[in-house]
Amino acid sequence: MTANSSVDILLVEDNPDDLELTLHALRREHLANNIFTVRDGEEAIDFLFCSGNFKDRSFDHPPRVVLLDLKLPKLNGLEVLKRLKDDPRTRSVPVVILTSSKEESDLVASYNLGANSYVQKPVDFDRFRDIVKNTGLYWMVTNQRPLANPAQAAKAAGKP
Amino acid sequence: MTGPLTNVSGSGHLRLLIIEDVPSDAEIEIAELRHKGFEVAADVVDSEDSVRERLAHTKYDAILADYSLPSFRGMETIGILRQLNLDTPMILVTGALSSETAVECLKQGATDYVLKDHLARLPVAVRRALDETRLRQERARAQQQLAEKVEELARSNCDLEQFAYVASHDLQEPLRMVAAYTQLLAERYRGKLDETADRYIGYAVEGATRMQGLLEDLLAFSRVGRNGDSHVLIDLNVVVEEAIKNLTIALRDQGVIVTRNPLPTIHADHFQLVQLFQNLIANAVKFRGKVIPRISISAERDGEDWAFSVSDNGIGIAPEHKDLIFKIFQRLHTRAEYPGNGVGLAICKKIVEHHGGRIWVESELGRGSTFRFTFPAAAADRADKKEQAHELYAQNSAGR
Repeated sequence: MTANSSVDILLVEDNPDDLELTLHALRREHLANNIFTVRDGEEAIDFLFCSGNFKDRSFDHPPRVVLLDLKLPKLNGLEVLKRLKDDPRTRSVPVVILTSSKEESDLVASYNLGANSYVQKPVDFDRFRDIVKNTGLYWMVTNQRPLANPAQAAKAAGKP
Repeated sequence: MTGPLTNVSGSGHLRLLIIEDVPSDAEIEIAELRHKGFEVAADVVDSEDSVRERLAHTKYDAILADYSLPSFRGMETIGILRQLNLDTPMILVTGALSSETAVECLKQGATDYVLKDHLARLPVAVRRALDETRLRQERARAQQQLAEKVEELARSNCDLEQFAYVASHDLQEPLRMVAAYTQLLAERYRGKLDETADRYIGYAVEGATRMQGLLEDLLAFSRVGRNGDSHVLIDLNVVVEEAIKNLTIALRDQGVIVTRNPLPTIHADHFQLVQLFQNLIANAVKFRGKVIPRISISAERDGEDWAFSVSDNGIGIAPEHKDLIFKIFQRLHTRAEYPGNGVGLAICKKIVEHHGGRIWVESELGRGSTFRFTFPAAAADRADKKEQAHELYAQNSAGR
């Protein structure tokens, strides 16, 4: 999977063991075809803002969902979330926080910054698989999104 | 007078600064003190510059100052002492002084005054000044030590809470890996391993799952008071209703009867109080006897406090375990008999104490239990102060 073809799921996860588990769970549901993984917050920002190593990407093709861990090197998950939701070009990209933390302060901060969903990774692997499956299916199948990036569409329609 | 006079300053010597322009007066003063057993070493000066110079370089036990010198007023020494941040006692030794002036000098900071024609009083005045200074310094030192201890305690408390948070937060991650990969292993190699292997994998997963439960409880325990409380006026009738609602299923399934007398309105953290009542009610249901569980909740005013009770008709607690049950991770039963990690009552205790109250249990084995706890009727003030102290500490730490 290269960054330039259309990406359905952007998975932001620094821990390789954890990454493998999530990919395993997604693969089982055949949800892993158009998935791209980045390993830290800065890389996530580069990907989503089409900069750095990802400058050839286009804002016209945002991922259908970002699965974002909170504990990340360089730039933590909340900071990534904040930048994403502060910018009209990326605001509409759905972000699901996927973390082992059930800490109230993390939940509050995430929703305040505009997270679309917050999912705790359970210890039990079967439950984890269920949760990844449900999350994946919901954002890939159930959830509807605008055809074009809303910011671009608004510009085209002459709205601010 | 009792005690060895020579030892008053702790060094065996009395180190004096005498501000005096008449050398013979200074000598008489020294003689008077020596006569009463002081071992005196004195520097005699008569100008502002020399006073400054001496005080900056030598540590004196006391200062004797003439009220007025040709070039310098004795009282100006007080200003110099303050500038140099010294609390050396200063005694005015002077020819004549009106009582108004004397009172004024004492107000400004002179320790005492002695008239030159009553020099016999000088040793007494010096002795008293030294004693007072020593007491004052000891008190200041004790206060300083107390302040240091308080700060140390606050810091260690902060560290402990931080530790519990980090431990439970960051330990979840590797734990998930252990559990998940063991389960994955079991799945991948099903049938290729023998029964024992499957059982061992089961144990490993069980252990990891239980540890996650412990970590979550530890997190809940460390969370009490960590996120800052919001102490507001809350109606405990509403709080108890909310706790009961949260436990609806367990209460309905077991046919529990909960009664409550009218409860007061107090200043407290709403979330914590719901948790407190919820834990106590859940505890009563969990440790029920053979009969239908009955729980009654009441409150009465006891002086400055509200005294609450949550009584049940459950299995009760043996007297020797009455304190143990409030300790974190302490359990009196096997997991097979009663599930749980032994955190519920520890959280109750932390919540009550966090609000400035006390909690204890009255019980006999087989005859039910009554959990009693108090809340200061004016809990709000205390909690606010605690919060302020915490903030102050945080500011100080941040400044370092």
